[in-house]
Amino acid sequence: MKVALLRFGLLAAVLAVWELAGRAANPLLAVPPSAVLPALRDLLLLRSYPDLPASLWLTVREITAAYALAVAAGLATGLALGMYRLAGRTWGPMLAALYAVPAVVWYPSLMLFFGLDVASKIAFGFLLGFFPITLAVLAGVRQVNPHLVTVARAYGAGTLAVIRRVMLPSMLFTLVGGLRTGLALCVIGVIVGEILGAKAGMGALINHAYGLLRTADYVALVLVTLALVVGSDVLASLLERRARAWTE
Amino acid sequence: MTASRGELIAIEGVSKRYLTTSGPVDALRDVSLAVGESEFFTLIGPSGCGKSTLLGMLGGLVMPDAGRLLVDGAPVAGPDPRHVATVFQDPGLFPWRTALENVELGLELQGVAAARRRRVAEELLAPLGLAGFAAKYPRELSGGMKQRVAIGRALAIDAKILLMDEPFGALDEQTRLLMGEWLLDIWRRTRKTIIFITHSLHEALLLSTRVAVMTARPGRIKAVLELPMEHPRSMESPEMVALRAKLWSEIREESLRAMQ
Repeated sequence: MKVALLRFGLLAAVLAVWELAGRAANPLLAVPPSAVLPALRDLLLLRSYPDLPASLWLTVREITAAYALAVAAGLATGLALGMYRLAGRTWGPMLAALYAVPAVVWYPSLMLFFGLDVASKIAFGFLLGFFPITLAVLAGVRQVNPHLVTVARAYGAGTLAVIRRVMLPSMLFTLVGGLRTGLALCVIGVIVGEILGAKAGMGALINHAYGLLRTADYVALVLVTLALVVGSDVLASLLERRARAWTE
Repeated sequence: MTASRGELIAIEGVSKRYLTTSGPVDALRDVSLAVGESEFFTLIGPSGCGKSTLLGMLGGLVMPDAGRLLVDGAPVAGPDPRHVATVFQDPGLFPWRTALENVELGLELQGVAAARRRRVAEELLAPLGLAGFAAKYPRELSGGMKQRVAIGRALAIDAKILLMDEPFGALDEQTRLLMGEWLLDIWRRTRKTIIFITHSLHEALLLSTRVAVMTARPGRIKAVLELPMEHPRSMESPEMVALRAKLWSEIREESLRAMQ
């Protein structure tokens, strides 16, 4: 309750400062909340950008595809590197080093390979989401108690059953953290990809409004995108809480 | 090696060498044994004599370098829970599963339907002394209870052979004695063949029908003692006192060698 009040106060303060600063600044570069609200209304009523639903839907689909690929590839790579020690020792440090490279440096070549359409956005979202998931799985495999694997094998578990019944539950905690980070980065990858160059999607709309100096529309679009990002993170945190309750 | 026992387990000339960073270590050299149906067969010997390796081989978790192991006439090629159930020194319960779910593990891995495996597990809990603990997680159970859950997990799959690697090694003396009595009761009711590893002379003498003494590394079978006396046994009977002295003299020599 106290936290909620404080949060509300902080939000109000930020809006007030924004309003004052926005009124003082050049309206082409900055807009106060009082100007954003009508723009947001026009946006949501599909007056300013009638293709908002289509763009939003496209972005959501790109994120879903990128995330699904990142989860599948991250799990497979992490488990493979974790279970085969030689492979892990060979590739693990290289993965960590690649993760440290700012991923945006790969984007130009991704656009060359995959073109301006959805494929390059999915590829970029995948690239960002893949590393934290893989590294979380790799760290998670190390937490698995090898004795439990022996027990499972003694009771007839094959490799798949060992992964499903021993490894995944053992590393759930780490895994869920990695999956959450991976989702956040997938979202970032797709939207950044759209902003850097796309024909459609939320990023393309943002780029359009920004390029035409329609600053109020631009801020309204950013707010909608923000809602999408916050929504996906809330969903992820709910899943994380459930997983946590389950392991404890 | 008496064929009249009806050999359920045959170990023939088995050797095992481990490669370690400080060079090769001979764990077992040319071990042969035969164990009949419904025996309570105990392996005893100094630490590092390869007892656990031998048990691991019977469970299909360790492969021999030479020789072969037969269970019910068939060579052991890998873990075979239809014939062999293993209880480890560390109970190895899955912390995210309740006691009941842990007991169900083997059945689940064999694809037994949920309702059926639940019934089997529930029926086991009372004789295990875990009647009120079905929904408890391993961290809520005492050491002895955890090991009983692990034994329940082994009994649930109803294999003929029970391999027990120092199952009570981590328990205090009193719990250990009670668990021994309890295991004896289970053994008499189920007539399973038990291969039991222990460091305790007392445990070996009270429980076993035969005891094999192993040498210090590389492990070999030094002597096999017959213990034909009825259960429950008294450590004070003249027979037991004599057997104890004999067993101790066999083990003492090997333990001294192992210490050097």
